[in-house]
Amino acid sequence: MATKQMKGLNSFIMDLRNSRDVEQENKRINLEINNIQSKFKHHYASNEVSTNTNSNGKDDISLSGYQKKKYICKLIYIYLLGYSEATNFGVREPLNLVASTVYSEKQTGYLALSILFKRSPTSSLKEHLNDLMDVMNGSLLRDLQSNNEDFNCLALHFISSNFNIDNERIDTEGSSKIHIVDDQDDNARQWLELTDLVFSFATSPIVAKHTRKKAVLALHVLFKLYPGVIISNSNWVPRILSLLEENEDLGLLTSSIPLIEFITTSISAKYAKSTMSSIARYLHRLLIEDACPKEYYYYSVPAPWLLVKLLSLVESLFLLVDEKTGNTVLTLTDLDSTTIGNLRSVISRSIQNSSQPVKGLPKKNSNSSILFQAVSLVIFLNASNEAVKGAVNALIYLLDSHETNTRYLSLDALIKLIGRGSISDVGNVFFTNEFNILIPKLFHLLSRDKDVSIKRKTLDLLYTLCNGSNYINIINGILEFYPHCEYSLKGEVAIKVAVLSEKYATESTWYVTTMLNLISQGTSAAASTSTNSHGSSTQIGNEVWERIVQIIVNNEELQAQSCKKIISLCNKSSGSNAVSENIIKVGGFVLGEYGHLIVNEKSDGDDDYSAESQFQILFSGYFRSSLSTRAMLLTSFLKFFEKYQDEPFIPDIIDLFEISTQSIDLEIQTRGFEYLKLCTADNSKELLSVVTRQFPVFEKKVSPLMSRIGNVERIVGRNRSSSFVNPHTIQQQKSAKSPSVTPPPASGLTVPPLNAPFKGVGQHRSVSTLSLPVTEEIDEDESNDDELVESRNQKTFEGEEDPFHDGVKEKVILSPNWYHGYHRMLQYDAGIFYENQFVKILYRIIKANSNIQYKFTIINNAAKTAGTNLTGFTILDLESSASKTDPNYLIQLGNQPEQTIADKTTFDVNIKIRNIVENDESPIITLSFNSGGSFNQLKLKFPVCFLRTLTSTNQIELEDFKKRWLQIGEQLPGPQGECISRTLTNYRCNSSNVVRLLARLGFNVVYSTPDNTEAGILVMGAGILHSQKSNYGVLVTIRSTDDVGKEFEIIVRCTGGGISEVINSSLREVLEGKF
Amino acid sequence: MAIQFILVLNRQGRSRLVKWFNNSYKPVEKNRLISDIHRLISSRDSKHQSNFIEYQQHKLVYRRYAGLFFIASINLGDNELSYLESLHFLVEILDVYFNEVCELDLVFNFYKLYAILDEIYLGGEIQEISKQKILNRLAEIDKLD
Repeated sequence: MATKQMKGLNSFIMDLRNSRDVEQENKRINLEINNIQSKFKHHYASNEVSTNTNSNGKDDISLSGYQKKKYICKLIYIYLLGYSEATNFGVREPLNLVASTVYSEKQTGYLALSILFKRSPTSSLKEHLNDLMDVMNGSLLRDLQSNNEDFNCLALHFISSNFNIDNERIDTEGSSKIHIVDDQDDNARQWLELTDLVFSFATSPIVAKHTRKKAVLALHVLFKLYPGVIISNSNWVPRILSLLEENEDLGLLTSSIPLIEFITTSISAKYAKSTMSSIARYLHRLLIEDACPKEYYYYSVPAPWLLVKLLSLVESLFLLVDEKTGNTVLTLTDLDSTTIGNLRSVISRSIQNSSQPVKGLPKKNSNSSILFQAVSLVIFLNASNEAVKGAVNALIYLLDSHETNTRYLSLDALIKLIGRGSISDVGNVFFTNEFNILIPKLFHLLSRDKDVSIKRKTLDLLYTLCNGSNYINIINGILEFYPHCEYSLKGEVAIKVAVLSEKYATESTWYVTTMLNLISQGTSAAASTSTNSHGSSTQIGNEVWERIVQIIVNNEELQAQSCKKIISLCNKSSGSNAVSENIIKVGGFVLGEYGHLIVNEKSDGDDDYSAESQFQILFSGYFRSSLSTRAMLLTSFLKFFEKYQDEPFIPDIIDLFEISTQSIDLEIQTRGFEYLKLCTADNSKELLSVVTRQFPVFEKKVSPLMSRIGNVERIVGRNRSSSFVNPHTIQQQKSAKSPSVTPPPASGLTVPPLNAPFKGVGQHRSVSTLSLPVTEEIDEDESNDDELVESRNQKTFEGEEDPFHDGVKEKVILSPNWYHGYHRMLQYDAGIFYENQFVKILYRIIKANSNIQYKFTIINNAAKTAGTNLTGFTILDLESSASKTDPNYLIQLGNQPEQTIADKTTFDVNIKIRNIVENDESPIITLSFNSGGSFNQLKLKFPVCFLRTLTSTNQIELEDFKKRWLQIGEQLPGPQGECISRTLTNYRCNSSNVVRLLARLGFNVVYSTPDNTEAGILVMGAGILHSQKSNYGVLVTIRSTDDVGKEFEIIVRCTGGGISEVINSSLREVLEGKF
Repeated sequence: MAIQFILVLNRQGRSRLVKWFNNSYKPVEKNRLISDIHRLISSRDSKHQSNFIEYQQHKLVYRRYAGLFFIASINLGDNELSYLESLHFLVEILDVYFNEVCELDLVFNFYKLYAILDEIYLGGEIQEISKQKILNRLAEIDKLD
């Protein structure tokens, strides 16, 4: 199949492959480079000559397109071999090739530019991409505007391959969220022009599908660089989302998912719900209805990659968190029953498919990939424990699989499942059986499995499973494994044990014993030679023992106990098993600080707590320890010196300080010198007591261990922030050119005063490091960073009104002529909601006290005129304007409409009135559809108002009416109970018009004047308003104030405070329209 | 972006195909990654170890075909098996396109590999999932000139 080789290139590659050694290869390459250089030089020389002299004759030295292509290919090959310096030929040759009209030459030109255009070591990513843009802009625009779709594709390939960045990576590199392109950049227009063009490719129905999928991917790349474009062009969003309705080309759909995920999770969450319905429908079609086109089956699995992508998008949508409220954006109650049903059946089918035995790895892998993606959704979709239990059991079963991949992924899925639910909560007894099977299995994996990454996952899962009732079992199990575990895993095990012990321990003795046991298992002090100061710290990070020290310092009741435990551990391990260096470190600190608390106590066993014994333990450890530990111990000895001036070991301490002054290690030498002076100089007593003053309590709240805990949280993803590109901050950046980053506080200034002596560590290590080692300094810096991040977060929180809107409430632009339908719905229970050339929307309102159901019917108007179906019909959004925290009404979509409408389809919207609904809280529904190739969007408001809950009272007499009218006046005097307004209608009315109007609204008309009387019009009615909280009686009087029946006075009295005003204004709105 | 890069390395660590979907790597970093990853993967035991490695802030999924390692670096949240199988999909396409592909095909047709990749993946995402469509498109491109 592969034809058209370039001979010269092939023989060049052969030559290089046949080179005997590097030298020969070098020679061959240099030869070739010289050759190419001269060829290009002559080519241009001859071109210039020919243009100057206007000679038409073809020169021999002029290069043909084929030759140019061949030479460029050779250069690329040389570059790929690693000779990057030799190929600095500039961009002229490749750009010339790009300008060619021959496809393969153009293609080679683009390839050369993407490989040979190098980022200079000094330029930032932003500079690099802008440089590339400067070079390529002309070529890209030309090829995108070309009529040749193959050329369009090459330009789209180039954009996608070379402007693609990973936003997460940039975030961690830079201090704040930076975008490669911002509106105020000089070349923002260039980027915008390019994005515009790509957008039109992606959404145009006349462009070939295979070009569109490339355009969609390129568009995603450009949006990541320049999110400002999509934020200021929010009208693009519905068109992009309508890509989900491209159901015949699964390639285009697959390509669209990342862009749709980007928009729904990073730009605007308000489309999450409608997107979810479309995806669920799609998953159902592919997996259950078997409606996958033939060419997309892969080993008889329907489009596995698409299924996985769709499922993963579902997961991302469920994980979305509103940054401001901290609540999840989408919960099960937001979804309609069809969507939920679709998702549930997809999950159970995935589990079912993967449990059947299949032949062949590709099919097996594909099925399993779908299973693992689907199973993590169970937790979002099932209120019932049974389904979750089923999933947990299925995964536990897979832990016994012979395939390493399966075990690995099952562990991963269990972490997600258990980490996200409340499955491992203490009170949850529902899973006791599962855990009783699971936990021993995990211990087995931990000790037996041959893959260290499986062990790591097992550890993560145990960490996730741990709770207040099983922690002793789990921690002991892990500790048992610890001595046998792989070297690379030890550090992680230690940190997890430390964090769990701290988190769950209820008894201090248990905590200290466990932790000291843990660190006593590190490499023994003897094993790590004194020259290798990092001998043991690679196994158990310094964080672990530092944390123990912090906790002992902060908890008085632990102090004496820890001293005893340390002495006992050190005595036990004397002899062949040398003491671990970590124990020496903790011992040095703890005994130095608190040893005096136990000197006079008698041990239960053989241990000796005397000062002499304490000193000997540390002193014997000194010579077996690394330099940093020795430095610490010197400080401990200084404390011993201060505390026990009469003990026999005092001369040993002085001797040691004296020897240390000769040390080659600067730290030890300095300490030795300073401490010697403190002990021997006259009048130094007072200074000594200041220097050895008892250690202050630690103030840091967050354990430094958490930063080392690994990826568990990431896998679970529960704390994932929705990380919206915030339009508000972009606005800020626009107004103030410099990005609004708080300058980092000068190091140390933000630390609480109590930590002050501690901060000195960095500056004057020797004197003030009284008790803590050098490494603490780094620790402090980290805490500063944390504070910085926190304050930054707070900043963005404050600046943000509502992450999903533009900070200020956006003014919604509704479709023209929306008001007719709205006004009709205010008073009639059925009729036309909206009509244009493509659709007619009918409605019917069914009232049941505080529940109102709107039944909509969509009729395809184009069927009659053009004979086309409406396709891709979607409810993009159904947005209530009620407050989010305590809404006056709840709105929910009952069932989804059909996507393709030949004739008509229906959908329901259910409203629950919870409280008194204000008149400006009506919802807006956004619909989109295609009709004969044109994309349409409708934004319509329909009334949800309190008046609509009205039902008539039993028949009451005028006398009753009057009595109640007065009662309200007494109980709720003034504007609380009554509201009067005047209104002017468009048309003349008579008495029966008003009576019919009130009856239509649900009032029981108590009194009305006859038509055609000179006395004017007077109509009175009564009714009951409903909400879930309470019902209210309402009385209304409408009276004409002119002779022709156009001016009216409306008086409303109501038993609920403030309601009369709401009802009055609704009535006015009804009257003022035509009826 | 799902795929940060795709590498095809032989057992000696020579790269036969290198495609960086993510452009934020610096040149020095790229070289270090390739040698690091080769060391990591070539030392693994294919019988008892999985095809996945958590590596820095990403995951590597890889599979060996004869003397070549096909490796993709994906995000931590991505589905390992899906991308592992996608590498197999790539290999199957190469196999048909080159009529029983071997390492030398990749060496001599290095420039074509990029064009093939551009039909399967784009911008670090999966672009097309139908084998037949991709092969048809590649045949079409070969006819152009």
